[in-house]
Amino acid sequence: MAPFKAVLIANRGEIAVRIIRTCRDLGMRSVAVYSAADRDALHVRLADEAYPIGPAAPRESYLAIEKLVAVATGAGCDAVHPGYGFLSENADFADAVTKAGLVFVGPPANVQRLLGEKTRARKIAREAGVPIVDGTMDAPADAAAARDAAKRIGYPLMLKAAGGGGGKGMRVVRTADGLDAAWRLAASEAQSAFGSPALFLEHLVENAHHVEVQIVADAHGEVVWVGERECSVQRRHQKLIEESPAPAIDNALRARLGDAAVRIAKAAGYRNAGTVEFLVDGKGSFYFLEVNTRLQVEHPVTEAVTGLDLVALQFRIAAGERLGFAHADIQRRGAAIELRVTAEDAHAGFVPATGTIAFLRLPAGPGVRVDHALFEGMRVPMEYDPLLAKIVAWGKDRREALARARRAVRETVIAGSATSLAFHAHALADPDFSAGKYDTGFVASHWPPAAPPELDDSAATAAALVAVLASRAREAHPQNGVATAWSRAAREDALR
Amino acid sequence: MRYETQVAGRTFRVDVDSSGRALVDGEAVAATIDEIARGRQWRVGLEGRTHEITLLTREPMRLLVDGVEIAASAIDERSLAASRGTRLQSSGRHELRAPMPGLLRAVHVREGDIVERETPIVTLEAMKMENELRAPARARVVRLDARAGEKVEGGAMLAVLVEIE
Repeated sequence: MAPFKAVLIANRGEIAVRIIRTCRDLGMRSVAVYSAADRDALHVRLADEAYPIGPAAPRESYLAIEKLVAVATGAGCDAVHPGYGFLSENADFADAVTKAGLVFVGPPANVQRLLGEKTRARKIAREAGVPIVDGTMDAPADAAAARDAAKRIGYPLMLKAAGGGGGKGMRVVRTADGLDAAWRLAASEAQSAFGSPALFLEHLVENAHHVEVQIVADAHGEVVWVGERECSVQRRHQKLIEESPAPAIDNALRARLGDAAVRIAKAAGYRNAGTVEFLVDGKGSFYFLEVNTRLQVEHPVTEAVTGLDLVALQFRIAAGERLGFAHADIQRRGAAIELRVTAEDAHAGFVPATGTIAFLRLPAGPGVRVDHALFEGMRVPMEYDPLLAKIVAWGKDRREALARARRAVRETVIAGSATSLAFHAHALADPDFSAGKYDTGFVASHWPPAAPPELDDSAATAAALVAVLASRAREAHPQNGVATAWSRAAREDALR
Repeated sequence: MRYETQVAGRTFRVDVDSSGRALVDGEAVAATIDEIARGRQWRVGLEGRTHEITLLTREPMRLLVDGVEIAASAIDERSLAASRGTRLQSSGRHELRAPMPGLLRAVHVREGDIVERETPIVTLEAMKMENELRAPARARVVRLDARAGEKVEGGAMLAVLVEIE
């Protein structure tokens, strides 16, 4: 039986498409929303219904709580899925949805508030007997107080937003000289991202592994850890590659991480799907980082190795159903790796890029899944997250998963915007990465490559010829707009 | 027409004659070329091998050659001659341009201000990060095109600074 009748999806892009798919699988009506920049977006066309919610600026559309709740009630929805990003970790949104008599597909507002405040989450972890990184338990009042605290913690250290995670309001500080400037920028970022400039300090654990544990918890007190993901390949504290199983940890450590994640979730009264993030150092010690109280971007990695549909589980839990399985019941098969293809110029330090998708070919074949919202003619918006596509490769073991990932990258063509694909091709060909020997220092130590990729004589000659043709080619621009299609038709009719 | 092309760090001279024959570094190449997508993707047959080449981005030109992304350029000889020896920038004049598209969070100076080296000129927010663009030297702000709250494209001119003693 379908857990709900109709679901409002308060998001856009690939994750909105991902959620629409499960809605369709479960027989629920999907209701999309879109900003002025997304009128032609894929999620708008795939959903059963779609409603405009305002201008491109997120504050006036995808972050506008009242508008979203109004669409949900107006369209007869009985549940709201927030996806990731935007309002997914906003307790006020969860409250507003609940007050309107709808079900929020995620943890209740009080749990979000508890864990969303990162300093409180650290206290919960410590009380649950889980190690945390040395740092301040509260947010220092100002840069001067932070300087005092830094003397005790020692450099290098991290400034982190107390109000939320996801890499926003985060700065590495290597010496006392750099503290003031970093404090100013991180506080300002935290203010605009979370509405509070509060920051806390943590000692920087360098060249560690970023390993996270997927958990699910039902409304009846059952908490199950589903599996772990290794997410150490990052730039600007944003992930580029995730995989499961984590190559650097053994079964004993995996079980200890799972147990720690469950203890934190129980202590916080967690419900629905969530992710507990840890740092694992080279000596097998681990430290709690934070809890992401939402579906993660990289959830398909876990889906690939467990066969579960985590979005479907989220809906069933939100509807009050029991999990009905324990950790021991989960059958993990093989290995999976996800490549986040972003609209960022890998050759220019991953600066955000824009453009229009002029040509698109996505990979397929055994073990390959692509979650995306791309189409030819799509404008890459600068207002939103730069994620273009997630290529997920599964294999019976890590070797096969990597071979399939390389094959998938070889097939992929995304033209019209700079992307991160060259980085992914390089990482997958790297001997250290292939051996599973990498940590959070990987991007800094392996990118950009020392030399440009080599072409054999035949390929280079062909490329030289095409370079001449390409330098002369002019593009046909797609014509979009309300009036254009009709006015063009009218013009053509007049010429008959 | 003669072109100088660069692909993946190598230079080739390409001559295209009026009959459509191509010579690469003076040697005729028997290539069959099909345009798969207009101005975007080509199939090149060369002595029994087939290469698939896609124009990924135009500025700067990047090509995907059989799944390998490379930098490339092609410039005809007339343009090449014309471009040599130009590009004189008066020393001490700095154009502050947005390194990436983003939102101007704050503008810290006014036109006419004298700023010290490393003084923040603007704060640019792009993809979740705030970045300060700073004065490269002690300078006077002779032009300011930045307004707080404004969205800017990558490469947009924000300010012009002229070095002073």
